[in-house]
Amino acid sequence: MSHRSATPASTPQADLKGLSASTAPVWREELRRLSPLFILLGAILLIAPLGMMGDIVLERRVTLALVNLVAVVGLYIFMGNSGILTFSAVGFMAIGAYVSALTTLNPMLKQTFLPNLPDWLNALQISPLAGTLAAGCVAAAVAAVVGWPLMRLSGIAAAIATLSLLIIAYIGLGNWTSVTGGQTSLMGLNTWVKLWPAAIWACVAVTIAFVYQETRWALALRATREDEVAARASALLPVPLRLIAFVISAFVSGMAGALYGHFLGTLRVETFYLDSTFLFLTMLVVGGQRSLTGAVVGTFAISLLAELLRLLEVGIPMGPVALSAPAGLGDVVLAGVMLAILVFRPQGITGGREVIWPRRHAPTPKQKEETQ
Amino acid sequence: MGYVVQVIVDALSLGGLYALTALGIGLIFSVMRLANFAHAEFITCAAYALFALSGHPLVMAVSAAVLVAVALAVLTERVAFRPLRAADQATMLIASFAVSVLIQKLLIFAVGSRAKPLDPLPVLAETLNVGGVQIGLLKIVTIVTCAILLLALLFLLKRTRLGLQMRAAAEDFTMSRLVGVRADVVIAVAFVVSGVLAAAVAILYAAQTGFVQPRLGVQIVIIAFVATVIGGLGNLWGVVAGGLLVGMASSFLQAFLPADLRPFREAILFLAVILVVLFRPNGLFPARGLKERV
Amino acid sequence: MTQAELRVRDLTVRYGKVVALRHVAMHIDPGEIVSIIGPNGAGKTTLLSAIAGLVPATVGEITYEQQSLLGAPLERTVRCGIAMVPEGRHVFAGLTVLENLQLGATIRNDASAVEAEIEEYFDQFPILGERRHGHAGLLSGGEQQMLVIVRALLAQPRLLMLDEPSLGLAPRVTEQIYDIIRRVRDDGVTVLVVEQNAGRALAASDRTYVISGGEIRLTGPSTELEKHPGFEAAYFGLGEGVIE
Repeated sequence: MSHRSATPASTPQADLKGLSASTAPVWREELRRLSPLFILLGAILLIAPLGMMGDIVLERRVTLALVNLVAVVGLYIFMGNSGILTFSAVGFMAIGAYVSALTTLNPMLKQTFLPNLPDWLNALQISPLAGTLAAGCVAAAVAAVVGWPLMRLSGIAAAIATLSLLIIAYIGLGNWTSVTGGQTSLMGLNTWVKLWPAAIWACVAVTIAFVYQETRWALALRATREDEVAARASALLPVPLRLIAFVISAFVSGMAGALYGHFLGTLRVETFYLDSTFLFLTMLVVGGQRSLTGAVVGTFAISLLAELLRLLEVGIPMGPVALSAPAGLGDVVLAGVMLAILVFRPQGITGGREVIWPRRHAPTPKQKEETQ
Repeated sequence: MGYVVQVIVDALSLGGLYALTALGIGLIFSVMRLANFAHAEFITCAAYALFALSGHPLVMAVSAAVLVAVALAVLTERVAFRPLRAADQATMLIASFAVSVLIQKLLIFAVGSRAKPLDPLPVLAETLNVGGVQIGLLKIVTIVTCAILLLALLFLLKRTRLGLQMRAAAEDFTMSRLVGVRADVVIAVAFVVSGVLAAAVAILYAAQTGFVQPRLGVQIVIIAFVATVIGGLGNLWGVVAGGLLVGMASSFLQAFLPADLRPFREAILFLAVILVVLFRPNGLFPARGLKERV
Repeated sequence: MTQAELRVRDLTVRYGKVVALRHVAMHIDPGEIVSIIGPNGAGKTTLLSAIAGLVPATVGEITYEQQSLLGAPLERTVRCGIAMVPEGRHVFAGLTVLENLQLGATIRNDASAVEAEIEEYFDQFPILGERRHGHAGLLSGGEQQMLVIVRALLAQPRLLMLDEPSLGLAPRVTEQIYDIIRRVRDDGVTVLVVEQNAGRALAASDRTYVISGGEIRLTGPSTELEKHPGFEAAYFGLGEGVIE
């Protein structure tokens, strides 16, 4: 039952409290259990309309934030539950982006940009929805194959191996000219990812992550995160548990990549490399890498900060003069924020907790502790 | 025959640069278990210092490059890594990634992201004719410089008290502090040395490529990282061997791989990294009496 | 009573929510051999670690020669005159025997005197001398224990602390190690030794503290403690008492 809180040190107590407090009707407890999902979906659906309250630039910005949210949730599913740093999520995004592009692009355009494409792939054209799902599935399949040997690694070894995966994906896609176009951009993608489709996909991603983290596989995985030796002793095998998370994580990352491509309309391999890896890691770490709430809060907080900095760079009209910051400041500030969070609040803004509907009964000692 | 000699010289000079870079990273990993991405920016900033003083006498430009790299190394240690010394390795890794991005973006902010031509060592542009084989003087100087720096480091580690303390700290940090080794001093010295190595790499690499740009260091460090892992993180002699091996592998693959596979040669290196991490976590050249590092 | 060399007052140490030591008080006078005994998990190692600065004290004070030891960086312990030999023979395995000993003298600046001293130890312990250029990791367990004790002595400490020096050693080797400890004391060094082997510790020490469940249960001169009716109960965490 530790899904109520991502502070598993208090798991046994939380369990007992859960039992003793269950004098409330079962359905109400059940509803409370699901409340983080409803609150997060509500937050997404409240934030999305903000994109319609300004110009087209604002709408694009909010849409991008929602697409980024899908990517960060993809990263979170593995990192948050397993506690293992991974760099490969953006690589799975790249795979998803190209799968969706190649399966949905107009055959005429494919003929022009990628003359050496195999005939069957050239002729293929499926719907955007099918393309996005295909992106997720292919990324998940690749993750299942490469993840199988890698999942016994943890700590810095896992970080090194997944970084190598990212680099291999980058080099591979960037030089597989007949299929990806290599260093040249792939253009003409259907840009169907507008504000509302992005919001819906963000809700889908958050729901997948939440449903997964409520399963007993995820619970067991979080147990291995806290103490691998003890978890092994209680017959929890980290490798298959991690692999499940890795595959689901890659599925969501693959979809995020597809959304990215259809948001931008143009694909470049460069888009899916260290810079975006850093951006998504920052969003997750700033929010709090150990909760889904952290992923959502971090994405919106960093997006908001980036937007404010962008406005500052454009210039704020102050009477006759415009107060403006030099271009490039935004990137510097983001990296600075990331570093400050790591040094001063390594558990992120949320401290690794989920938002949850408060009980109407007298607060339990544990909740008191949380509010301290 | 001449072609083979040229390839070997290329491989050695490239391998030497990777070895120096990998050593800079490995040295810091060995004393504080930090895989330092920001080493890339020590190199880049040193190259820009060289660029800024390119009209001035070489001695001045080189000293400035060394000074900048060392100052940056010491500063990042003090500001970012010291507060995180007790944190887990993954957190430190993310932090070094953040420091790396921060400095890189600051650099782009200050000088722009376009590549700028730079030829710090024009006197070395000549080629030598050795027994009928044309060899660039720069390549020879690179190899010699790398060898001298490796020997100097060997002397520091093996023949001085400070070096002994660094080796002790690398092996058992807590125990070394219990016998009185000052943690701050050893770590600061490791950063200073890594700064010096970064500056040397910056000068030699800029001379070979002929330009500077904000991602110059990242390109080298990504590959040197391979060398650090293959050689065994924290195992300094293994790291040097790893650097030479990677430089040679890269050069030989470039020279002898079929043309349409050549662009993928770095992917092969990273595949090797994954295999090493999986099957030989202490690297290909594990030291005696070494505990599991990774 | 003379001023105690080391004094621990009201020391409490917590690891997260687990209390490892609870209001512990103890002292050591100059020139004594004091032993701390108790079962596994009693808090013996924690007590030694807290004195050495390896773990932070939650509450309490530790003073050595009237100076507080709390909150100082780890590398200051040996500079105060306290040398620690932690449990498990922490030799620098990849370094040579000679280098290990040189590291013992890290805080000293009299290089030639150190060199002479190392030579004397090599004469005293010929096995170390023979292996001086060999890796310390290749020594046997007893030789490694010898090496870490000599390494600690090279800092010229006034207090030597040893954590389970006999752990995993053959009885004959343990005998040798305790011989060394007695000689160290005869040279005027105060010794604090933690032992699980109660008989061994009582025989070797002047005074003993019995610690169990994070608290000091019994203390007194070692010879009398042995015969004390409550000794076994104290060892297993029952009762409390002081023999004066």
